[in-house]
Amino acid sequence: MRYGFVIDQRKCIGCHACTVACKEENAVPLGVNRTWVKYIEKGTFPDTRRYFTVLRCNHCDDAPCVTICPTVALYRRSDGIVDFDGARCIGCKSCMQACPYDALYIDPETQTAAKCHYCAHRVEVGLEPACAVVCPVQAIVAGDLDEPATPIARLVATQPVQVRKPEQGTLPKVYYLGAEASALSPEMQRRDGQYVFAQVSDIPVPGQPNRASAPLPPPPSAPLDLRALARTVYDVAHPERPWGWKVSAYLWTKSVAAGALLVAGLGMLSGLASGNELAGRAAPLLALLFLFLTTALLVADLKRPERFLYLLFKPNWRSWLVWGGWILIAYGGAAAAWLAAGITGHPHALVYLAGPVVLLAVAAAGYSAFLFGQAEGRDFWQSPLTLPHLVAAALAAGSAALLLVARARGGGLGAPWGLRLLLLGALASLAVVLVAELFGSHPTRDAARAARWLARGPLATRLWVGVVVLGLALPCAMLVTSSPAAWTVAAALALAGLWLYEDLWVRAGQAVPLS
Amino acid sequence: MTHRVTEPLHPVARDLQAPPEGLHRFPPSALWDSWEEYDARAWPRREKRQYSLIPTICFNCEAACGLLAYVDKRTLRIQKFEGNPAHPGSRGRNCAKGPATLNQVTDPERILYPLRRAGGRGEGKWERVTWDEALDDIAGRIRKALVEKRPTEVMYHLGRPGHELVYLQRVFHAWGIDGHNSHTNVCSASARAGYAFWHGLDRPSPDHARARVILLLSSHLEAGHYFNPHAQRIVEGKQAGAKVCVVDTRLSNTASMADWWLSPWPGTEAAMLLAMCHVLLRDGTWDREFVRRWVNWEEYLREEHPARPVTFDAFEAAVKALYAEYTPEFAERESGVPAARIEEVAREIGRAEGALSTHVWRNAAAGNLWGWEVARALELLVVLAGAVATPGGTAPSGFNKAIPAPPMMPPPAKVWSELLMPREYPLAFFEMSFLLPHLLRERRGKLAMYFTRVYNPVWTNPDGMSWIEMLTDEAKVERHACLTPIWSETAHFADYVLPMGHASERHDLMSQETHAARWIGFRQPVLRVALEKQGKRFDWTWQAHEAAGLGQVWEEDEFWIELSWRIDPDGALGIRKYFESPYRPGEKLRIEEFYRWIFESSVPGLPAAAQKEGLTPLEYMRKFGAFLVEGGVYASHEKPPAPAEREGAAVDPLTGVVAKGGAAVGVEIDGRVAVGFPTPSRKLEFYSKTLKDWKWGDHAVPTYARSHVHWSVIDRTQGEMLLLPTFRLPTLIHSRSGNAKWLYEISHSNPLWLNPEDAARLGVGTGELLKIETEIGHFVDRVWVTEGIRPGVVACSHHIGRWRLQESTGGERWSTALVDLKREAPGRWRMRHVHGVRPFPSADPDSSRVWWEDAGVHQNLTFPVHPDPVSGQHCWHQKVRAARPGPDDRYGDVFVDTDRAHEVYRRWLAMTRPAPGPGGLRRPLWLPRAFKPDASAYRIEGP
Repeated sequence: MRYGFVIDQRKCIGCHACTVACKEENAVPLGVNRTWVKYIEKGTFPDTRRYFTVLRCNHCDDAPCVTICPTVALYRRSDGIVDFDGARCIGCKSCMQACPYDALYIDPETQTAAKCHYCAHRVEVGLEPACAVVCPVQAIVAGDLDEPATPIARLVATQPVQVRKPEQGTLPKVYYLGAEASALSPEMQRRDGQYVFAQVSDIPVPGQPNRASAPLPPPPSAPLDLRALARTVYDVAHPERPWGWKVSAYLWTKSVAAGALLVAGLGMLSGLASGNELAGRAAPLLALLFLFLTTALLVADLKRPERFLYLLFKPNWRSWLVWGGWILIAYGGAAAAWLAAGITGHPHALVYLAGPVVLLAVAAAGYSAFLFGQAEGRDFWQSPLTLPHLVAAALAAGSAALLLVARARGGGLGAPWGLRLLLLGALASLAVVLVAELFGSHPTRDAARAARWLARGPLATRLWVGVVVLGLALPCAMLVTSSPAAWTVAAALALAGLWLYEDLWVRAGQAVPLS
Repeated sequence: MTHRVTEPLHPVARDLQAPPEGLHRFPPSALWDSWEEYDARAWPRREKRQYSLIPTICFNCEAACGLLAYVDKRTLRIQKFEGNPAHPGSRGRNCAKGPATLNQVTDPERILYPLRRAGGRGEGKWERVTWDEALDDIAGRIRKALVEKRPTEVMYHLGRPGHELVYLQRVFHAWGIDGHNSHTNVCSASARAGYAFWHGLDRPSPDHARARVILLLSSHLEAGHYFNPHAQRIVEGKQAGAKVCVVDTRLSNTASMADWWLSPWPGTEAAMLLAMCHVLLRDGTWDREFVRRWVNWEEYLREEHPARPVTFDAFEAAVKALYAEYTPEFAERESGVPAARIEEVAREIGRAEGALSTHVWRNAAAGNLWGWEVARALELLVVLAGAVATPGGTAPSGFNKAIPAPPMMPPPAKVWSELLMPREYPLAFFEMSFLLPHLLRERRGKLAMYFTRVYNPVWTNPDGMSWIEMLTDEAKVERHACLTPIWSETAHFADYVLPMGHASERHDLMSQETHAARWIGFRQPVLRVALEKQGKRFDWTWQAHEAAGLGQVWEEDEFWIELSWRIDPDGALGIRKYFESPYRPGEKLRIEEFYRWIFESSVPGLPAAAQKEGLTPLEYMRKFGAFLVEGGVYASHEKPPAPAEREGAAVDPLTGVVAKGGAAVGVEIDGRVAVGFPTPSRKLEFYSKTLKDWKWGDHAVPTYARSHVHWSVIDRTQGEMLLLPTFRLPTLIHSRSGNAKWLYEISHSNPLWLNPEDAARLGVGTGELLKIETEIGHFVDRVWVTEGIRPGVVACSHHIGRWRLQESTGGERWSTALVDLKREAPGRWRMRHVHGVRPFPSADPDSSRVWWEDAGVHQNLTFPVHPDPVSGQHCWHQKVRAARPGPDDRYGDVFVDTDRAHEVYRRWLAMTRPAPGPGGLRRPLWLPRAFKPDASAYRIEGP
C-alpha cells in the first residue's frame, strides 16, 4: 500500500479550491499553507499563456524530513503517507531545511511543524483527502499506487508523468501530468513586485511576523536570458527563513567550545603545551562556557524550547540532531573531566584525556556537517567542504580564543605552544575552503545559485570586506608580524570574521527558493 | 548517495490496513445522520467526533452548488462544508468559495442582532433592537403606503436573490406592489436582451460535456453563471476532444486553458462572431434544414422584402447578402484578431455537427453599448450551426430549469412603477436599477420604504457617490432597511441593518440551467435542522440560531411571512390569507409547510422517489438537499404541447402559430405541432418584429454597431485608453465574500493590467502608480505589466477595493481599507485611504495573523452611468486618460463630481426611444419581466 497523488495539470483550472478545502479540513491558520496553487505566465501578446501548478508535500518514499526529524514527529506510515505528530515536535525547523519542496511550515497556533499529511485522519475512515474531493475538475487523483487497478496506478503507468526535483532522490509520490516544466522548477521563474491579484509576500526577517513586504531583489539566477524565464504571477506567502542568527551564532559558539579543547588537546599530545593554567583550566572553562552558550542558543531557537529533552528521550537515531546532542553531552563530560584534572593538578591525567578529548572535539565541531548534510533542501550545505570548513573554523576559533585569554592573562604566557602559527594555519585553511565553497564546481544549480548569492549577490560586500579582508587576510598579515599586540587584534578580528562567515553561510544556504 | 525506502518509526504508523473497498469521496448517505470521523487537529491521536451531515446550497455565486454541512452533534458547531454528492449540478465538488462558507458562518465580525441607527444616517452609530421593534416599524410604514395608495413607494432591491424562484413574487403580488428591483442591469441585461429577442428565454444553457466546439465569451473556468458546474463540464468536454475557443480581451484563466485565445478590441466581438457566421454561410457548413424549420425567415421576408417570394431559397440569398460584408478581413480590421484565426475557429464550428456549446453573460455584452448584439450574434452562430438544444449544443435556459409552483399564487398587481421601468426603456432587461439616484434627483418619485438585500449599490454600482447622496437624503428615501449577512458600504447608510443568514442559515429553493437537465436544490438552515433532529422545535429560525449560539440571525422567508401578517393583521387588506398554512386554515404559515406543499405537489417524481427511500417528500429534500427532475433534456422545443393545451387551439394559417384564448401554445411546422419557443412567432426570431415595432428597425436582425469605446474614438497619443473593469476573480464573489479570510488571503489586489507597450509609453512599471481619469473623476491604482492584455486596453478587476468609514463597524476588517471620505463642495467627493488591511484582535486568532495590507482600489465610484438605450444595461467600459500621478496623488485616491455624473446620465438618456409602443403599451406584453404586473398596467393612460 503506497498512497500518492496525481495532479493532472491538463485539467487544473487554478481555482484554489484545494487550498481552501485543505485550510478548512485541517484548520490551517492564515499565513501558512499545506497545498497551494502557483501561477506562471509565458509568451508575448497575443501568444501568452498562464500555467497553474498545485504544490504540496510529495510524501517521499525516502523523505529527508523524516530522516532529519530528531524526535520522530515526522514519520512515514506503512501506507506510504508521510505524517506528523505535533505532540512530539520540538520546533527545530530542520525538516523545513531537509524538504526540497517547501512543504513544511511552523503552525503559528501550536508552534510545531506541519504539512500536508494526505488527510490521514480521513483515509483511516475510508475517505479521500479533502483536496481531491473538492476539485471541480477532478484534477487531483488520490489512491494506492501499488494497486494496479486503481485509477492513479493506471495513470502513472500509462501517461507521461513528471515529479519535482527528481535529482534529489527522494522518491516523491506526487506525480504531475501535463505540467509545464518551468512551473515545476523555481530556477526557471522570475518575479516582479506585484502578483495578478495579490501582494507579493516574501521571506521576512526571522522573528518578525510574516507581513507582506517589498520584494527582495530577484534571486540570483544562472546567466539565462531574463525574457526566456517564466514569470511568476501568483504565489502564496512562504514560511520565513527557518534558521536565523541563533543558528549561525550556535555554529560560532560551538567552534569556540570545540576549538578550545581541540587546540589544548593537540597541544598536550604534541607536547607543546603543558597542563598549565591555559591548557588545564582556561581551555576547559572556555569550552564549558561556550558549550553552555551553544546549548542555550540551540534551545532558544526551538519553537517549543520546553520540549528540548525530547531530543534525548524520543530520539530518532538517524537524525544528526540527536547524535549531535549526545556528542555535545559527551564532549561536555570530557571537558569537565579535563577541568577537574587541570584544577586538581594532574597534568599526567590530561595526557591520557587528550586523545579522547581531541576526537570528541572534532566530533563536536564536525557533526554539524552531517546535520547540514541532512538538510537536503539546501544544496549549498550539502558540500563535502562543510566538514573541513567546520574543523578549520574550530581550530581557528579555539586558537584565537586561547590566544586572547593568554594575552589577557599577561605577557608571562606569551604566545604559547605555537598558538599563533596554529591560528595562522587555520585561517589559511579556512580561506582555501571558502574559495573552494564559492568557486569550486557545484553539483547542482541551486548550490551554484547560493554561492553566487554569497559571492556576487546582496551578501557580497559583507563577505569580501568583512570576512575575506578583515576576518582572514588582515589577521594573517598581523600574525606574521612580531608584535604581540597585533596578534591580539588579529585573534579578535579572526573571531569576528568567523562569526560573520557562519552567518553569511547560513543565510546563503537558505536564499534559493524551494518552490 | 544511495537511498532506501524509509521504514515507519512512529508507533501509530505501523501495520495499517487498507480500507476494504478503497477510498471513497463521501460518507455513504445511509450514515449521514450519525457520521463518525477523526478530529483533524487532534491527529494522530484518534479522537472520534460525531456529526450530522445536512445538505444545503452555497450562496457564494449564482450556481447554487450543493454543500454538505458537518454539524458537530455535541457542540452544535459547523465543523466544515463539503460538496453534496447528491446534487446533480455540482456533483459533490465546489470551487474555493464553497468551503470558505465556513469563514462566513464563523466570522467574528458578523452582525448577530438587528441594529437601528442611533445617530444621523451614515454616522455609523448603531443600537441593538428586537425583531419585534424592527418589524412593527417597517410593517407600519408599508401598511400606510398601501392604504394611502402609494404602492410604488415600497421597493425591494436585491443583489443576489434570497429566494431564487417565485417566493418573492408571491409576497409582492400579495402586497399589490410593483416593487422588485434587481442588480440585473449592472450585470447581465444585455446578454439577456440578446437571448430573449432570439428565443424568449434570457440565458443560454450550454451542454459543454458533449460539445465538439466550446466557444466562450465568458470565463467559466474561473467565474460566472455557473462557474463550478460549467467548469466541470467544459473540462470533461475538453478531455473528450472538444476544441475550446475563448474570446476575452484579457488573458483570463479560462483563456489560458483554451485552444484559441482571441483577444479583440472590446466591443468588436459581434463583428468577429458575424464573420464566423459569414464563413459558415459562405462555406455551406450551416444547418439549412434546422434554420428552415425553426427560424422565422418567412416573417422576415414578408416584413422586409414583401416583393420577394416567401421561399427558403429567397431567404438564403437574403441572409447571405446581409452578412456578405462581414468577412474575416473586415472583422480583423475591427477587432484586431487575425482573420486566419477567425476562419480557423469558424471552420471548426462548421465541423461540429451541431455540438457547439457557447456562453456570454457579462464580458463583452456588459461592457459595451449595443452589447446585446454580441449575444444575438453568438446565438446566430448557434442557430446556423443547428446547435439549439442539441447534445453538445446550447439550449435556452428555461428548457433546463425546474420551477415548482408554490401554494396560492396571488394575481399580479395592477401597478407599474416608473422608478423601476421608466418609459424611456420599454425593452430593458429589467429594472433600471442603477439609475435610481438620477430618477429621484429628477423628482420622478420617492421611497417610503426601501429594502436592500445582499445588494451593495454604493460599492457595486457605477456612480456610487450619487447613491450616497440619495441614501443620505431622507426626503428621497424615508426608511432604508438593509437585509444582509455582512457589513457593506451600503449597510452603513441604512436605518436598519437586519442580519440574514448565509448559505447554511435559511431556506430557499434553487434551480439553475447548469447542463442538459432539470433539478432542484434545497437550501436549509442546518443548525435549526440539526436541533430539530434532536427533538427541539422552533417557530422561527432566529430562535434556533439563538439556541445554537448564532445571535438572532434570521432568514428572509420567515421575515416576509411575519412582516405580511403585521402589515395586514386582520386580513382586511387581503394580504394575510396568502401567508396562512395550506394545512391549518387561518393559521400562520410555517416555513416547512410552504416547502412541504411544494415538494408534495409541484415536483414531478419527487413523491415517488421519496417513497422509495421510505421518506416524505420534505424529509427526502431535508436529507438529500437536491432532486433531479429530468436528465438528458434535449430538443424541448420539438415536443408537442400538452393535450389539454392543444385542445381547442387554432392554427394561424399564415404564421403557423397555434393559439388558444389569445395565448400562443405552439407552432405548426411541416404539418406537425410543437411547443417551440416562447416568442411571438414561437420560433427563433432572427428577425425581431418587436425591435422593429418599438422603433429599433435598424437592429431588427443581428447586426454589429460600434461601441461607445470603439478604438476610433480613443486617441492613444493623448494618453487615452479603454478601461476594462468587468472581471471577477476565481476566489471572490462581489461584495459578499469580504468576510471570507481564506479567500482574501489568496486575493486582495486589483492592479491595473497594462501591456508592456503601454507601460513603456506611459513610463511606468509593475508596482508603480497610475492615475486613471474618467468622465467624472479619477482613481489611483498600481500597475501590473502583463503580456495578457491587448495594447491600448487597461483592465482592472471589480472584485477588490472595499472600504469602510469607521475603524470597527461598517466593513469587514479582513477585506476593507479604512478611508476618509470628504464632500469638498456640493457634488464633489474625495476619498483617501487612511490605512489598508491590518491585523485586528478578535475571537478568531487568525485575525491577528492577517499579513496582507492591500485592500485594492475602488474604481466603480468614478464611472458615470451608461444605460444602453435598448437593454438598459450599464455599459461598463470606460474611455479614460491614463497618466503618471501628480505629487499629491496617493494609492487608493478617488475623486468624483456627481453633477458631471448627472450630465452624463442625461446624455445617455437622450439616446433612448421611449414608450409607448404599439397599442399604447409601456413594454411588449410577451417580453419577459421579473414579476410581471397585470396586463392592464402595461398601458400608458391618457392622451
